[in-house]
Amino acid sequence: MSVDTTVESFKGHRLAGWLDWLQMLTGLTLVCFLFAHMLFVGSVLLGAKSFDFVAAFFERTYLAQVGGPILFFLFLLHGFLGARKMPFRTKEQKLIVRHAKMMHHRDTWFWVIQAITGAILLVIASIHMWTVLSDLPITAAKGAHELETGLWLIFYLLLIIVGALHGCIGLYRIGVKWGVVTRAKRTKALKCIYYLIGVYVVVELLNLLRFYFLKV
Amino acid sequence: MSRTLHFEIFRYNPMDPDSKPHMQTYYLEEKDNMTLFLALNEIRETQDPSLQFDFVCRAAVCGSCAMVINGRPGLACKTKTKDLPDKIVLHPLPVFKLIGDLSVDTGTWFRGVAKKIEAWVHTTKTFDPNALEERMDNDLANEIFELDRCIECGCCIAACGTARMREDFLGAATINKIARFYIDPRDERTDEEYFEVIGTDEGVFGCMGLLGCEDVCPKQIPLQDQLGIMRRKMAIASLGGKVGKLFSVFSKKKK
Repeated sequence: MSVDTTVESFKGHRLAGWLDWLQMLTGLTLVCFLFAHMLFVGSVLLGAKSFDFVAAFFERTYLAQVGGPILFFLFLLHGFLGARKMPFRTKEQKLIVRHAKMMHHRDTWFWVIQAITGAILLVIASIHMWTVLSDLPITAAKGAHELETGLWLIFYLLLIIVGALHGCIGLYRIGVKWGVVTRAKRTKALKCIYYLIGVYVVVELLNLLRFYFLKV
Repeated sequence: MSRTLHFEIFRYNPMDPDSKPHMQTYYLEEKDNMTLFLALNEIRETQDPSLQFDFVCRAAVCGSCAMVINGRPGLACKTKTKDLPDKIVLHPLPVFKLIGDLSVDTGTWFRGVAKKIEAWVHTTKTFDPNALEERMDNDLANEIFELDRCIECGCCIAACGTARMREDFLGAATINKIARFYIDPRDERTDEEYFEVIGTDEGVFGCMGLLGCEDVCPKQIPLQDQLGIMRRKMAIASLGGKVGKLFSVFSKKKK
């Protein structure tokens, strides 16, 4: 290990630890939001009125106007922190895929999936947040209208699947990295993660279909 | 009944300018209780004396015969052919320097990381050869021994996606080794000093939780648990100041 003799390095020697905390905490916040979002949007299953009621609540309390951009910032920060661990050079990308193929090992593939879904999310979740937050208020009618063009349906299908995979696998990986998911708990934790992915995808698909067939 | 095993073995001699990396095919009759170590020896004795591979103890103690067996790093001496399909593909461990065919140099790599993390007991006490040895609680001794069982075969490093992408990543065996000194009361290093050694993106924060190490370790050392524990300890140490003190209640070093 070469010795960094710049003065700043002595001050910033704890940085790696701080960044690791930040990556975990932003990730955890975003996963919690993902599932809360699933429930909020799920209000549409009870009808357009209840969805509009929930949406209006978030605007009345300024949670959408203030919380939204804060969440956007956390999302970008998390993307930036995660990117530090991602293979950007073609050589590294080829290596990790070849390694995953060689090992035929579930958790290694999980990570490859997470890296890919993370990169996709950074683009499509940004688009989603921008279109929603730049056109307040949120109403069921707008959502239904948006889906009338088939492209948005595909967009949301992708967002649901990619979001579910990245969020839930990320949650599992946080557990593993921070020693919450121990050797003894691993099988059980994986089962929980599969259920979580299933629940999220099913509920959000129902939400999407409800919007698609919504008459307002 | 007895099978004919089909071996595909990686061949390359970096010392020979005419040698090119390629896979070579061998066939061998399977015998009762045959291990890969026995099979390779038989191939070398009866078919190809130029085949290079390492072994010493043939009992999963020395760690020399680690290689990639059908994609997974493992010990040749501990792998029975009856647990493998008819076709067996063998590669040398990646990451480490290739000596030839299946033989790699793990020693230089492990010595390098051991120097980085200063893998020895740091003490201010002067050694008195006449004094009685200090006693250690039996449970603690067992705990240390559990981590000390590592034979440095290199399987966990070869199975680690991070280690393969980032050459300077310390790897599971190294972090397990620091965990061993961390719980040893004779080592007087503080959390702060341990942080200096592994509290980096090349150290414990570089681990991305791919668990390749955990799933291939031939000694079943609790690598997953140790990586989790060390990450937590070092993350708390990174907070420093008052926050760190508050948290340090949860991460008191056993002394």
